[in-house]
Amino acid sequence: MIASAWVCLLAPLAAAALITLGGTWITRRQAGYLATLSVLVSFVAALIAFFKLLDESPDERSHTSTLWTWLTAGDFRVGLSILVDPLSIFMMLVVSGVGFLIVAYSIGYMDGEDEERRYFAYMALFVFSMLLLVQSGDLLILLAGWGLVGLCSYLLIGYHHERPQAVAAAKKAFIMNAFGDATMALALFLLIQRVGTLEYGAVFSAMDSIGGDWAITLIALGLLGGAVAKSAQIPLQTWLPDAMEGPTPVSALIHAATMVTAGVYMLVRLSPIFEQAPKIQDLAAGLGALTLLVAGLIALVQTDIKRVIAYSTMSQIGYMFVGAGLTTYPNAMFHLMTHAFFKALLFLGAGIAIHALVGEQDMRKMGGLARMLPKTYTAMIVGALALAAIPPFAGFFSKDPLLAATLDAGWYGQLLWAVGLIGTFLTGLYAFRMIFIVFGGEASPFVREHLHRPGHTLPALWMAWPVGALAVLSVVGGWIQFSPFWTPLSDFLDPVAPPGIEASGAEDAVTSVLAVALGLLGIGVAWWIYSARRAEVPRWAFGQRLLEHKFYFDEAYDYAFYRPAHYAALAAIRYVEGPLIGGSIAALSRGTRELSTRVTEAQTGLLRTYVLALGGGAALLALVFLAVKA
Amino acid sequence: MKGPDVSWYLAVSALLFAIGALGVLIRRSPLIVLLSLEIMLNAANLALIGFARHLGDPSGQVFALAVMAVAASEVVVGLGLIVALNRARVALDVDYLSTLRG
Repeated sequence: MIASAWVCLLAPLAAAALITLGGTWITRRQAGYLATLSVLVSFVAALIAFFKLLDESPDERSHTSTLWTWLTAGDFRVGLSILVDPLSIFMMLVVSGVGFLIVAYSIGYMDGEDEERRYFAYMALFVFSMLLLVQSGDLLILLAGWGLVGLCSYLLIGYHHERPQAVAAAKKAFIMNAFGDATMALALFLLIQRVGTLEYGAVFSAMDSIGGDWAITLIALGLLGGAVAKSAQIPLQTWLPDAMEGPTPVSALIHAATMVTAGVYMLVRLSPIFEQAPKIQDLAAGLGALTLLVAGLIALVQTDIKRVIAYSTMSQIGYMFVGAGLTTYPNAMFHLMTHAFFKALLFLGAGIAIHALVGEQDMRKMGGLARMLPKTYTAMIVGALALAAIPPFAGFFSKDPLLAATLDAGWYGQLLWAVGLIGTFLTGLYAFRMIFIVFGGEASPFVREHLHRPGHTLPALWMAWPVGALAVLSVVGGWIQFSPFWTPLSDFLDPVAPPGIEASGAEDAVTSVLAVALGLLGIGVAWWIYSARRAEVPRWAFGQRLLEHKFYFDEAYDYAFYRPAHYAALAAIRYVEGPLIGGSIAALSRGTRELSTRVTEAQTGLLRTYVLALGGGAALLALVFLAVKA
Repeated sequence: MKGPDVSWYLAVSALLFAIGALGVLIRRSPLIVLLSLEIMLNAANLALIGFARHLGDPSGQVFALAVMAVAASEVVVGLGLIVALNRARVALDVDYLSTLRG
């Protein structure tokens, strides 16, 4: 089992190295096949490990394997170790499974691009980084995976390096993530100082003894900073919408299915630490609730199809943060999984539409695509219904128990429950606003002019089948658990992250009915406005401006951080760089030149002066020696 | 041991050295400069031999012999230079020979 876990981890790395070193020995198409195959190998290896783990009794399902000592400093040592337990197996399956479908889709989507080999090498490297993150047996390895994932997202968002916006978006994502990495690293330093190790088991067992310490709150806060940055939650959320500059499969892989869920994974994985700092857990849940509301509202006014889906990602991850923060871990992980299915489906479906319209992403130019792309339309409907948590689609089974469980967490939980319910209404509204604008109605002039119906070519087939598979998963993926009647997933994860709160049957029922009703209401409103056109889109200038500027987060950060830094730098150039640094160097060179002019005057060319200097010097030295000796 | 004390030899040696040094400093003819140099070298020889006698150590005399050999070869080179200068019709004045000034 350990061997297959290592295979799962290293297969994509091997593919990335092969594609990089192979250069033109590998054709572009072969690079795609190689990357896809490596992720498939990962998935199969993860499956093997999963079934072997199932054979063991639930208490023994935790294995650590260390290859070698990676880092030593005095007593402190870090091994290159992986941990295989239900939680990491679950994440391995999600990452490699969904990752495989998305990389396979890329073969079709990226067909004909100039730098496909680079693309597939990055994709394989990304899957490796994410697997390293979820399989790590040590907080430092976790941080290494964390940083690598950030690096890969930078590389992939900036894949179209000839486009300035893509480069800017890549930098933004990297800086935001680096901020999270930094707070996380600080937390780890504090943890080393307090506990002396970063190995999961040792850290968790030490938690009882240092519980209640102020340091633990700081540690949890630093870790939360990392989670918030990676998962694009308020206040570090601004990079995610811009990251849509990357190719669509990249958006699906990084910004929907895997990378952004790393924060949720960490909240669950490190739950023994967070449970010692309940205030930080409440903060995580509060930030999640705020994000799900804010992102849901912003999604209502976006015109770029990928940005709508990106905001919906932020919103759904907000739900997971609420769940993980209020300690209903299995439900958060379950929602993470179903979200990976339907969000990847929505992105890849949108990718087909964008591909058919030669790269156009503006929804205002689309319309009436339902008749042109009927299968894509069906897939997108499935994805949107799963997103809006309508039974029997996947989102219903994961989102509603998550919300119901929050009712068990006191007044704070009930408040977040209400926020989550408002969120379900918004979800239905923005999801179907997108569907109706893009697919409903008559074909727009732009569509009639530019549409390229995908034929039955090889690339089109490579794009079609992963979407089909994800559509099926978005329907049946939720059926593996229907709490409170049928909970295999919760039972499987229970040894790692036992939930702190449970919903009663009545709470479940009430929440489900309300959530589904609100979701349907949202869909109905969307239909009323955007399909039936019985009502105008409500105009409210102030609100519209607020939403279109994404609550002015970018502007606020611009004023709060960018401009002060910019002006400070300008002032430093003017008052420090110029007079102090430049001036001192000029003075130094001037002084040297003047001094050397003086020295050259001593060079007369007259032998006698030299001899005089020589003899005088010798005589002086002799006198000095005599004087010293006397 | 007969003869004057070592301090007398040293005094004569210092006098000779000073005369030589003064000659190097103030005379302009290269020939005289060379001559003065020889005087300085021989002043050093005198001091060496004086010390050798005083200490009863023959190594000072060996040094003096070595200095004589060096002085002889130096005179050969110096005179050769002066002859070459003369052949090139350069004025025999050390103050004019300042082409190597920086």
